[in-house]
Amino acid sequence: MTTTLEHTATSAEPRGGGLARHQNFGTAIVAGVILAWVGWFVARHLFWSGSDNWSDQVATMTATGWMIGFWIGIGAFNAPFRWLVGNDNSRDEDLYYAGYKQGRARYWKYTTDHKVVGVQYIILTMSLLAVGGILAMAIRTELIVPGTHFVNQQVYNSFIAIHGMVMILALIVAVAGPWGNFVMPIMVGARDMAFPRLNALSLWTLVSAAFLLVTVLAVGGLPVGWVVLGTISDQAGVGMDFFAMTIVVFTVSTTVASINLITTVITMRTKGMTLDRLPIFVWGTMITAVLALYAFPFFFVAELNQILDRTVSTSFYVASGGGTSWLQANLFWLMGHPEVYVILIPAVAALFEISSVMARKPLFSYKTAIGAMVALSGLSALVWAHHMFTSGWAPTLGGPFMVTTEVISIPTGIFFLVLVGTLWRGNVWMRLPTLWMFGFIFNFIVGGVTGIYLSDIPLDEQLHGTMFVTAHFHYIFVGSVLFGAIAALAFWFPKVTGRFLDERLGRYSFWLVFIGVQLTFGAMFLSGLKGMPRRDASYSLAFEHTNFISTIGAYIIMAGMLILLGAIITSWRKGEPSGPNPWHANSLEWQVPTPVPLENFLEDPVITQDPYHYGEELVRP
Amino acid sequence: MATSSTKRSLTRFYWAWGILTVVGVVLSIWLPHRYVPRMMSNDGNLSLTTMILFSVLAAPVASGVYAAALHIMHADRYRGEGVPPAAEPIRENTKLLVTWLTVSAVLTVFVLVWGLGALAAENSTSGNPLVVDVTGQQWVWTFAYPGTHVVSNELYVPDNREVEFRVTSLDVTHGFWVVNFGVQVDANPGVITTIHTTPDKLGTIEVRCEQFCGLNHAFMDAIGHVVTPSQFSAWLSSQPQGA
Repeated sequence: MTTTLEHTATSAEPRGGGLARHQNFGTAIVAGVILAWVGWFVARHLFWSGSDNWSDQVATMTATGWMIGFWIGIGAFNAPFRWLVGNDNSRDEDLYYAGYKQGRARYWKYTTDHKVVGVQYIILTMSLLAVGGILAMAIRTELIVPGTHFVNQQVYNSFIAIHGMVMILALIVAVAGPWGNFVMPIMVGARDMAFPRLNALSLWTLVSAAFLLVTVLAVGGLPVGWVVLGTISDQAGVGMDFFAMTIVVFTVSTTVASINLITTVITMRTKGMTLDRLPIFVWGTMITAVLALYAFPFFFVAELNQILDRTVSTSFYVASGGGTSWLQANLFWLMGHPEVYVILIPAVAALFEISSVMARKPLFSYKTAIGAMVALSGLSALVWAHHMFTSGWAPTLGGPFMVTTEVISIPTGIFFLVLVGTLWRGNVWMRLPTLWMFGFIFNFIVGGVTGIYLSDIPLDEQLHGTMFVTAHFHYIFVGSVLFGAIAALAFWFPKVTGRFLDERLGRYSFWLVFIGVQLTFGAMFLSGLKGMPRRDASYSLAFEHTNFISTIGAYIIMAGMLILLGAIITSWRKGEPSGPNPWHANSLEWQVPTPVPLENFLEDPVITQDPYHYGEELVRP
Repeated sequence: MATSSTKRSLTRFYWAWGILTVVGVVLSIWLPHRYVPRMMSNDGNLSLTTMILFSVLAAPVASGVYAAALHIMHADRYRGEGVPPAAEPIRENTKLLVTWLTVSAVLTVFVLVWGLGALAAENSTSGNPLVVDVTGQQWVWTFAYPGTHVVSNELYVPDNREVEFRVTSLDVTHGFWVVNFGVQVDANPGVITTIHTTPDKLGTIEVRCEQFCGLNHAFMDAIGHVVTPSQFSAWLSSQPQGA
């Protein structure tokens, strides 16, 4: 294909669209609420209200109604329906769906352009971080002194679960969502994703799932912890049904997104873009997508079983019916550990990309870096039971799972070698992305080393279930992944907006968040060492000082994140103009104009070498 | 080539590495001693030793990465205006890669051998343990001593004798954790899980729930005592022979 949709348009204004002209985020919510009400109303009358399962049946039907309504309202079914009745979309209509000449309105619609989807993911990630962040502040405020003062225990117990799940969702999409959609297709020389409509579908499905998740707080909460262990969640109210439905829907979204991403990388690469010339970020997102495709269906099954236990009295997890909570724990962690790498690998891959550009030096050990990411994702599928070392399940497997878990430190070590090796002897450009990258290196060491303690079973029998674990994975998720995500945002921000992210505010934000992380989670390690369990709404006087420091640190993180938000908003509107290639980088996304035109390239690019040829001879085609 | 490949001084890098390693080793020994509660069993002592050993091993590795990062920030930072020129293109360094892989593999194998050895030691049993039946329910622990009719909410165990906890739950999953013994296992409804350890110091111990179990999870604690064998027999016979 050498002509773009734009060039084949028969008029300046696309004439197509039809029903889609009247559909957007607002109509999706309206339709979702209406069908949720219909589901609620029908279920109340359809099912026998004397049954123990009645409220769960009603809640599940309500959530299902919301989902279907949201899909109809946003326009997800328009094109498939037309195809089904033999009246397929015209060129003009496809152009309309791609958001052609619709200004800002296209960001609130079922738009197929991958760049619009990328921006929608930025907004979604920031919204989720805001919700999760507010909950985090409420949690830390409750824990500032012993006793329960600020929120009561029941509310606190819900907050920790929703904080956990919202933040996990936010971080799963934080890098792979915005940049896997906005820059990845351009990086491989494609005009869009392989399945543009599925791209919009996965984004909006995730948005509707996020609404469902937050609604849990309004329907009785989820006072069970985010791992929703079988026995305790059996006691939870309809909030648990909404949570389980959220996960079912979320899995649909990640599956669709992963298939789309993998297909794009395999089939849509431009001429000369061989696999050993692929930018490392593309490798990272593709490996992540493969891992997500493997991991999340376990979550789907885990929560589907829970829905069935609750609505139709199966007993997968109910001990009195012959079931076992260990089944839920196994399914959950079969997803739960690979998920950590679904979150981590895109951030690391983005930092690899950034390190080469900022050091003005080729990426160090490109192929070893790919090998490490592949090894890491492969191993991550074989370590899940280390989350169950102290559960009492299969003690004989403790040794084998300890081996697989600790072997992971070898590919993880490669990440440091690649990053430090690339920067070493470079001409390091100390801009915002570089600064956040150094923060990542610092925090990831702390998170990584403390992980080795937890993989050692005799030591895990002391530290499991304590604040030490919480501190460990927050050093990974906040200290490492969030730092990587912010570096990626600062790096690709000029491509999205044509402007730099404000350097001065960005630096204030960096130092606040960096210091805040050390205080909050550094002190949290000490709380854990002293023996403070996780998920406690109150604690004894022994943990007073370390908790106080953690709370102050959390407020400092919040201040830093608010400054970053301010920097994003002001820079987006009137930041310093950057031009199309502000970092003088070689990969394809920097060679197209900013703003990037619809379908990206006027002519398909031809690739002759990888994008890391700093200081090397140019290969002419 | 924008930069020459002349040998540059790494003195500052080695100094930083050395100083950070010393600081790391000091922290590795001091922090656990300062913050971990008093360990009163063989497993508890092993946990503390393992924690210190792993920290000491990690100190030079982490310090090496930190020293390299600091060195880059100092020596490789571009101080000019505008876009920095390209640096010398170094794509591979087989010697470094092999060294790095060897060191991380050796460390991993050491950590594994140590851990598997400790695990085997922890799993070995004397054959004549004192059995304590532990029952968790929302939100209280109960300890029963088979062979007697003693049921208590406080845990009493004699020192220098292996004790086996047989743990179960009446409702949801709880986490039975004897903080000062360094052992824990989940209390699952309908299942009995076991864990054993040998107390080696007299004094008060704390039992906590480490698996989220609902409203009052934060308050599901119990007090315990490690006493001499004669005190233990005296306590057993002083208890009401109820239940």
